[in-house]
Amino acid sequence: MTYETMQKTLIDGNFRKVRGSRVGKIARLTVIYTVMTVFAAIFLIPYIYMLLRALMQSSQVQLIPIELWPRPFTFEAFGQLFGSGGGYLDALWQTMKIVLFNLIAIPLSASFVAYGFSKTKFAGKRVLFAVMLGTMMLPGAVVQIPLYVMFSKNGFNWLDTVLPLTIPNLFGGGAIYIFLIRQYMTTIPYELEEAARLDGANPFMRYFRITLPLCVPVLIFIMITVFNANWSDFYGPLVYMTDGTETLAYRVFKDAIYTYVTPDKANLKMAGGLFMSFFPTLLFIIFQKQLIEGVSTSALKG
Amino acid sequence: MQNLLTKKRKTFRKVVKDSWHGWIFVLPLVIGIGVFTLYPLIQSLIYSFYRYDGLFVNDFIGLQNFVTMFTTDRAESFKVFGNTFLYALISVPLNLCLSYLLAVAVNQKIKGVIAYRVMFYLPVVIPAVVSGVIWSQLFDKNYGLFNDVITKFGGDPFPFFTDKNTAMLSMLIMSLWSLGSGMVLWLSALKNIPAGLYEAAKIDGAGVMTRLFRITVPMSTPMIFYNLITGMIGALQINSTMVFAGDGGRGPDDSLYFVAVKIYHEAFTNSAYGYASAIAWVLFLVIGLLTFVTFKTSKWVYTGDE
Repeated sequence: MTYETMQKTLIDGNFRKVRGSRVGKIARLTVIYTVMTVFAAIFLIPYIYMLLRALMQSSQVQLIPIELWPRPFTFEAFGQLFGSGGGYLDALWQTMKIVLFNLIAIPLSASFVAYGFSKTKFAGKRVLFAVMLGTMMLPGAVVQIPLYVMFSKNGFNWLDTVLPLTIPNLFGGGAIYIFLIRQYMTTIPYELEEAARLDGANPFMRYFRITLPLCVPVLIFIMITVFNANWSDFYGPLVYMTDGTETLAYRVFKDAIYTYVTPDKANLKMAGGLFMSFFPTLLFIIFQKQLIEGVSTSALKG
Repeated sequence: MQNLLTKKRKTFRKVVKDSWHGWIFVLPLVIGIGVFTLYPLIQSLIYSFYRYDGLFVNDFIGLQNFVTMFTTDRAESFKVFGNTFLYALISVPLNLCLSYLLAVAVNQKIKGVIAYRVMFYLPVVIPAVVSGVIWSQLFDKNYGLFNDVITKFGGDPFPFFTDKNTAMLSMLIMSLWSLGSGMVLWLSALKNIPAGLYEAAKIDGAGVMTRLFRITVPMSTPMIFYNLITGMIGALQINSTMVFAGDGGRGPDDSLYFVAVKIYHEAFTNSAYGYASAIAWVLFLVIGLLTFVTFKTSKWVYTGDE
């Protein structure tokens, strides 16, 4: 193949004619990889910008024109945030309480209810399932004010605690999670339970001993989603918590718009953001296959 | 008569006997929906007819809150609904189209394609509050990367979030960062299209565009439908502007003031719980109506049983 035909191929965009030849294939792959790498760089630039500026000294982030490479590399910003007086350790502890509770409560509670929907028969099943799906459409803004008033009243006194963001999850844990697990459970053949049933195991034992362990793949997806959702949620804590009891996401939010607005604090902002992104990124890289598959199956089945 | 009653009682007993296991399994859900959804839902409807500050003032004022929205507070409430609709109308289709291109790119059978998928999807897992921080820094007038590049090439600094005319555009640019979420949905939709369809079309001489609009799009309509519904519901409830828009999440001249943020401010800044509930109910009705209309006009969705 000549240079001319290769050029013509590129202009026409008609790769099929030359697909057989090696040069054509290399040219085609070069174009594809170049375009994709450019795009990947565009997607990663904001992330890398945050990373680099989080590792700068306060004096360097104030320079105009800006500098991109930290000199020297320093963890000064992290020291300030997590050191005494930074308050980020306390905020992290609040977040961990919520995250750890929900990581256990939501998969258990949602799978318990999902078992009812997929493996038992009861009067009112269809109606309840429809109502549950309906709650997915409900904007959070509608219920948030009465919930706030309810949690603030005597008898609850839940404000400034983690309770509003944890206890409600004991009751099903959210329609989308129940729905996903139920979809998964319906694919498990009944024969597996039949044997246990004949051995005298009641539905509760069959749920816990047989069906739940088989749901591990979908539960992994749900746990990652639950972690990310609760770790990242700044709005719930913003409504229910005030100074001193806030979670990490709320703290990062508050600092970004009130405390660290001056240019010399930009490294602190970025360090907070970088720490916030660390665990979601790590989880995503480890579980990327399950996550991407989980997201798409939930979309196709919903 | 006696006979009928016992018969009825028997069937009731039988229902209980057959159902009680199932009822226990779904009992947590029933309590949860009752206490944390149904009760607050009704309560907020009641609030919307009251002037209520959460503590002392609690006057029934009928439809006054809804009237206020269209009269004295009209400028602001129309602005927030306008902004919210505008954003939803542009961002949902825009993301759908551009994420398709991204999906086609990473759907090729070439080495290392998984790594590209990971890089494109990564921004989606980054917490909204963090992307708000990053982008407000990237867009910063003096210290931002974008303006650094623009001024290096001799341009004037672009105001991004700090000017009412460019704020919405900047937010749309920022929303493209999470194209990865649409990409993975397209990927699974593409995977479900039988390769035979394309082979047959190629033999018949169909071009790229014909294949796209006659095979790919029609076969992906369930995903497009899902994306439209969830994208719309999500876009109408956006509150992440609180992080990057400035002025308490309003943006310059309220150019980034969204419904969900107004509800927050009316309730928790102005203690106007009644008015905030009224706006929330209007938003709820709008979302309900739009979802209903989308479902009713969903004849174009391919269900596989034609």
